[in-house]
Amino acid sequence: MSNLLISAVGVSKAYPRAHLAADRMRSLGRLLLGRQDADAQYVVRDIDLSVRRGESIAIIGQNGAGKSTLLKLITGVLTPTRGKVEVFGSVGALLELGAGFHPEYSGRDNIEMAAALHGLSRDELASRLQQIIEFADIGNYIDEPVKHYSSGMVVRLGFAIIASLKPDLLITDEVLAVGDESFQKKCIRWMEDYLEQGGTLLLVTHSMYHAQKLCRHALWLDQGRLMQFGDVFDVSQAYLAWHERKQAASEQRPAQRFGVEFEIVDLEINGSGGNQSTMLEFGGTLLMKSRIRSRDGRVPVAMFGIVRADGTPVYGVSTDMDEVSVQRLSDHDYRVEIEFVGLSLLPGSYQVRVHTMDTEGLRLFDTLERGLTIRGESREFGLVRLAHRWNHSAGGQVD
Amino acid sequence: MLAVHFIRRELKERYRGSFTGFGWALLQPLLQLAIYAFVFVQIFKARVPGAAAPGYVPFLVVAMWPWIAFSEAIVRSTTAIQDNSALIGKVALPRQILVLAPCAASFVLHGAGFLAILVVLAIAGQGIAIAKVPLALLLYVPLFAYALGICLTLAALQVFVRDLVQIVGQLLTLMMFAAPIFYDRTNLPDRFQILLDLNPFTFYVEGMRNLLLGYGAFPWHGLMIAIPVAILTLALGHWLFRRLDSHFEDFL
Repeated sequence: MSNLLISAVGVSKAYPRAHLAADRMRSLGRLLLGRQDADAQYVVRDIDLSVRRGESIAIIGQNGAGKSTLLKLITGVLTPTRGKVEVFGSVGALLELGAGFHPEYSGRDNIEMAAALHGLSRDELASRLQQIIEFADIGNYIDEPVKHYSSGMVVRLGFAIIASLKPDLLITDEVLAVGDESFQKKCIRWMEDYLEQGGTLLLVTHSMYHAQKLCRHALWLDQGRLMQFGDVFDVSQAYLAWHERKQAASEQRPAQRFGVEFEIVDLEINGSGGNQSTMLEFGGTLLMKSRIRSRDGRVPVAMFGIVRADGTPVYGVSTDMDEVSVQRLSDHDYRVEIEFVGLSLLPGSYQVRVHTMDTEGLRLFDTLERGLTIRGESREFGLVRLAHRWNHSAGGQVD
Repeated sequence: MLAVHFIRRELKERYRGSFTGFGWALLQPLLQLAIYAFVFVQIFKARVPGAAAPGYVPFLVVAMWPWIAFSEAIVRSTTAIQDNSALIGKVALPRQILVLAPCAASFVLHGAGFLAILVVLAIAGQGIAIAKVPLALLLYVPLFAYALGICLTLAALQVFVRDLVQIVGQLLTLMMFAAPIFYDRTNLPDRFQILLDLNPFTFYVEGMRNLLLGYGAFPWHGLMIAIPVAILTLALGHWLFRRLDSHFEDFL
């Protein structure tokens, strides 16, 4: 158990009501008497977490899920309302933008202050100061007051300080997103080195790319509760799928969907149903099957479409355009299947959609959407590979 | 170590951006002294009672500098937690330091000012007992403990009750006039004497005057009370602060 770094048992945090002066007085009385607050708002509930040295955990979840609060509880900035948090080692935390910086002080003074907060002596600081300034790489701004910094510079300085401290536990809360591309890369490289040397990382992020690149495990919080903890790929996929379901429920599926005239029962892509996004190799075959329930027994028109992740339409085609009809299974059940052989979509993220329309192909009744990721390497631009030929040289023909 | 850093930061911050820098630390109480001395000596014709009494200026100085350190420490510390809310929500550090820093800085600053003006008065031949200066400084120890206890209490309560800082200013004015800073105990009618004995600051004024000016008797009785009062106040302040400190960020 000696390599245990964080132990959190049954940790909950509630914020008291503190808007009105009367509420504050009541809370003060309660605290002095040592009583619990009854009408408090819980933001983190019953989290158990033990982190060993050398682990790397991404904390994911939507806004307001309690991610930052959990980190603050671990750093000791907040005290849990119930439960207990123990950390057996030094902590370096980048909690929020400009956390702990004094806006009136110069960058150099703030480095000094941060060093004192982390218990560095003057000699230790002197030997690291140059290294910090180089890592931050903000030029002459180091002697300007922090209030004149851009948000990216604040993050640079904050990260540079933490990086020089090499704490046992590194905690960062969605601050990387502020830095520019080159600084992000620098930070990620540093964190990879740090992890290789046995450092421990807790990373709050909305970027699944960062999570998967840096962390082995992930913790998914929702409304202050632990939803899932495990391998980063499993958890992040479950999280994304949950997001899609939620979005589908709120956007694509109006409440009166049940009982619409032409309802999409399911959509199967390359043999897999469910809500997971499908992976496909570039140039592979895309096979989509869908079942449709017709309330009145009329024959529906089905349409399949592909859009890019940002919504740009790529291709769409319906049964009535191609003058085919859906396959009838029973009076109310129909089935439709479409296959794209040698799919020419370039690698990237797309969404496939199936729509139902009435017999005349005029009114849209139902929509189901699913993610599709095309894997592969290609340096071509755009969405699809168009058949082409270079006419001036031999052997360069592509089709 | 961290405390020293914060005290330094506090000292630097007070006079950062002003032309005279630390000069203000001395200049400000000097101006205050000049005003009081003018009002009391020229207008009210105040004279220190008793034969072989010291002049009014040294009489006022030895009481007023400790008072300035004490009252400034309290005023500045009351909002210490509130002012550092940005730090409290984001960095884990012992919060007592945030209160200790302004409190200690006031004592350091005005302690140094006190020494400087004592030297000036001694050179001017105002009969300062230089040999007893170390003893007089020793009085600062219980005074500081007493002030820190009050500072911790007020800083913690201020987080919850924001009106406190307004009340504190008024109470300090009351306490100043209810201590024999501008006058001597013998100026006061007998029936009010009890007020002076109830005021913890009276002891420090009379102690300073005895040690530095040889004026009046040393208040041994007051010392017996002042030390336990200082210890109890500090203990109470510490207890209250610890009780509330983990909840500060919820109310800031």
